[in-house]
Amino acid sequence: MTGGYTGKILRVNLTTKTISTIDTAKYEEFGGGHGIGSALFFDLVGDQLPFPAFDPRNVVIIMATPFSGTFMPASGRSEVQGLGPMLYPVEWFGHSNFGGRFTAQLKFAGWDGIAVEGASDKPVWINIINDKVTIESADGVWGMDTWDTQEEIARRVIPSLKYGEWADLDAGSTTQIPAVVCCGPAGENLSRLGCLLHGPGSQAALCGFGGVFGSKKLKAISAIGTGGVPIADPKAYMDARLWFRQFQWDVDNPREPERFAKQGYMLISGRPSGGNVLNGQLPLVPARAAACASCPRGCRMRLASGESNESVCAGTMAVRVQGTQKLSRQANDLMQKWGLGHWQFMPLQSYIQSLYKRGLLGKGKQIECDLPMDQANTMGYADMLMRQISLRQGVGNDLAEGCARFAEKYGLYKEDVASGVLPLPYWGTADHYDARVEAEWGFASLLGERDLMLHMMANYPLYWMANSGDPYLTAEEAAKLYTDAMEPYNGDIFMVDYSDGPTGIYSDSKVKQVAWVKHYEKFWVGSGGFCGWRWPMCITNNTADRRGPTPQAEPKFWNAITGKKLTFADYMEIGHKIYTLDRSIWVLQGRHRDMEVFPDYLYTQKSRGAHLPMYENGKWEYGTGAGRTLDRAKVEDFKTRFYKFEGYNPDNGYPTRATLEKMGLRKVADLLQSKGKLG
Amino acid sequence: MPEGKKAQSGEASAQKKFSRRDFLVSSGTVVAVDALIATSPATAAVATPASPIPAAKADYPVSKGFLVYDSKKCIGCTTCMLSCSMVHEGVQNLSLARIQIIQDSFGKFPNDLKMAPCRQCKMPVCVDQCPVGAAYVDAANGNIRRIDAKKCIGCKTCLGACPQQPHRTVWNHITKKSSKCDLCLDTPYWNEKGGPGGKQACVEACPMKAIKFVAEAPNQKETEGYDVNLRNEHYLNLGLVDNATVVPPLIAAQAKAKKAPMPKPKE
Repeated sequence: MTGGYTGKILRVNLTTKTISTIDTAKYEEFGGGHGIGSALFFDLVGDQLPFPAFDPRNVVIIMATPFSGTFMPASGRSEVQGLGPMLYPVEWFGHSNFGGRFTAQLKFAGWDGIAVEGASDKPVWINIINDKVTIESADGVWGMDTWDTQEEIARRVIPSLKYGEWADLDAGSTTQIPAVVCCGPAGENLSRLGCLLHGPGSQAALCGFGGVFGSKKLKAISAIGTGGVPIADPKAYMDARLWFRQFQWDVDNPREPERFAKQGYMLISGRPSGGNVLNGQLPLVPARAAACASCPRGCRMRLASGESNESVCAGTMAVRVQGTQKLSRQANDLMQKWGLGHWQFMPLQSYIQSLYKRGLLGKGKQIECDLPMDQANTMGYADMLMRQISLRQGVGNDLAEGCARFAEKYGLYKEDVASGVLPLPYWGTADHYDARVEAEWGFASLLGERDLMLHMMANYPLYWMANSGDPYLTAEEAAKLYTDAMEPYNGDIFMVDYSDGPTGIYSDSKVKQVAWVKHYEKFWVGSGGFCGWRWPMCITNNTADRRGPTPQAEPKFWNAITGKKLTFADYMEIGHKIYTLDRSIWVLQGRHRDMEVFPDYLYTQKSRGAHLPMYENGKWEYGTGAGRTLDRAKVEDFKTRFYKFEGYNPDNGYPTRATLEKMGLRKVADLLQSKGKLG
Repeated sequence: MPEGKKAQSGEASAQKKFSRRDFLVSSGTVVAVDALIATSPATAAVATPASPIPAAKADYPVSKGFLVYDSKKCIGCTTCMLSCSMVHEGVQNLSLARIQIIQDSFGKFPNDLKMAPCRQCKMPVCVDQCPVGAAYVDAANGNIRRIDAKKCIGCKTCLGACPQQPHRTVWNHITKKSSKCDLCLDTPYWNEKGGPGGKQACVEACPMKAIKFVAEAPNQKETEGYDVNLRNEHYLNLGLVDNATVVPPLIAAQAKAKKAPMPKPKE
């Protein structure tokens, strides 16, 4: 291992209180991050599946990548993996990730990742200072909110810590504050909404890993280090970073600044800030744009009021309080402090309001509830709701089970999901983008284990560009440029045809696009620690010819840091391998193609439509797909062709031995076969 | 971190600051006083000499290059730090970076972040106090204040002598030597010429253009001489203001045109 890796993964067993290391080299073939995490999970507990997410056997894995701790643009995310209690109907082996500084500090401390097994009998936290790792008592911290927890633990890590000065660690000194990731009271109480939080607003929101921390009596992990990340070819890596500047928003002289300041472009143009939607009303609160480690964009903000610091998107949108934006900032901060995952808390609020309006929930109703349901959108209501869920009080005890299991308990799941009243199209996670139109988002989520949450696939560059009302490319130009970047399938422009015609959302071209999304997700995003708001970058508004850095940038950086000499397509094939391994784990948990179905409402209710490139009547245009419903037979046929394309048995969706062995996954094939689940 | 905030604003800190400045003034070393900023002296965690700084041994020619910066524009990505350690040491390591960015995620703007590059002081205390001449003014290269690692004996005098907080002389715990910003004069891992007239890795890599090379010496008396405003109207239009009375023109226009229906995409 010449560069990018520290060479060791930390293994902590909380039952036996033992700490050991795993050589990263053993897993180098999986790249890093998600890929190594999946391989590790399979090796540690694959043969014991299925078992529940709150079982001590569950392993929660937080992985860094070769890029972590380096200036690779927008690569600062930590990948969290393990069985996800939020997911439904099976607590699939899932993944979530969070930004900030944690993954960088983990690398500086000398670790490529952490795997936590077992469960402690008493609350604990894990203290990582360079290669010194200890399991510490969480007395005085257990029960604290996520913000207080992080500040208290930072004090315990470096008692002499003074902001703005050097602190002496055993090996070297640092001016940096320890990076802490923790669960809140929600996670402690095994809420399936429980998130992990790092900093004031960086959530691993999906899958319910806060609850997994709680089940292990693990409050937090802190990392601080004074080491470095070795680089195989430093000059090439530096040159690559400076080469990348052409794709960044030019802060002093941006291209077409007025056009890209329009609302539709706020999130997608690469402008600093813009991710926090709660500081747009005049008078503005003084603020800076704030970045995760190594991100040249800085989509977050830190405000003069300290409110909504580092929260973005759903972290600033999940709770709405009437009145000023200040109240909403404070309400969303409360959510962060309780450690509630925004992406589940958001639909849960809508759903219980619908139950209240239907007369099913309230005082003396079928679902007994003492919340002031007629005062939704007030701070008092938001506070009570969050408190009840996090502490499992009253109806909160059921709500803490998450949307799907809450509805199921009251016999409403089947009916409400089928009708779309409770829109949970993908494994218990909320509807995000319309699968009837933005089909690859739907298919890639359904053929995964939770909502895709990767906006820089077609969603920002194509969907949001078109829906801005002022796209900077024609539909044909956009389709051509975008698909030019989609190696190794480049050249097939119909991959981004969103019509429902012969070259559209059910076509073989769309099969390739969905495969591309999954492979990129697994290798570059998951194993490179990429931000889904920045990568891939197939097109961009920041260059004259609108070409983005994908697919040149990814291997340019990866090869410079690791010393490898592979192509973009080679790495995408590793992504295919990781996806196949994930899929094998899901199969061990009970996944079958018959489970991979959309809810009824997507087949029966008409889409409102959204602008996307469509090839209709022999020409490209931005169509909308309004009025469209999915066709069951065509969806099933699409799945059949997708399974074949990926090397899986179309009868059940299981990976075949031939596919697994070709990828070097013979032991996976053997285990599947022993369970009667080989495709 | 609360403890740090207290340390910055507390009376004890102010008293310490006064003590150091007072000593220097009373010793008649006016030039040395000029090198100070209005913050408390560094209380370096690494072992440093406790004795106060004596009078300057000599007059030093002014550096022909300085780094100024805009701490309100910085996004805290640490790309500058990583670029610095990269071009000098060949690894990416925040602890070896000769420019430090310190931030508190829970802090309040603008006190949530501090930029700390070397000031190339007119009166370089590190040079003045180095007992073996390892810290020196490089007359052949624009009078840059440098440290010769070959001569450095690792005594850490320069770490304690630097009046900045945090100290801008940086301890390399691997080589057991001190280092400091050389304006990228000696960058074995970069294919660019540095120093005055050349390029600096932090300046080149900063995505916010929040660090700038200048040839003229900034005001030495106050932090503001180095921490300058590098924001133009395009920055303001991002909606990032440092004063709530400021109304960015684009945002004002958008507020006026608010609620207009989203037009259909034009080909």
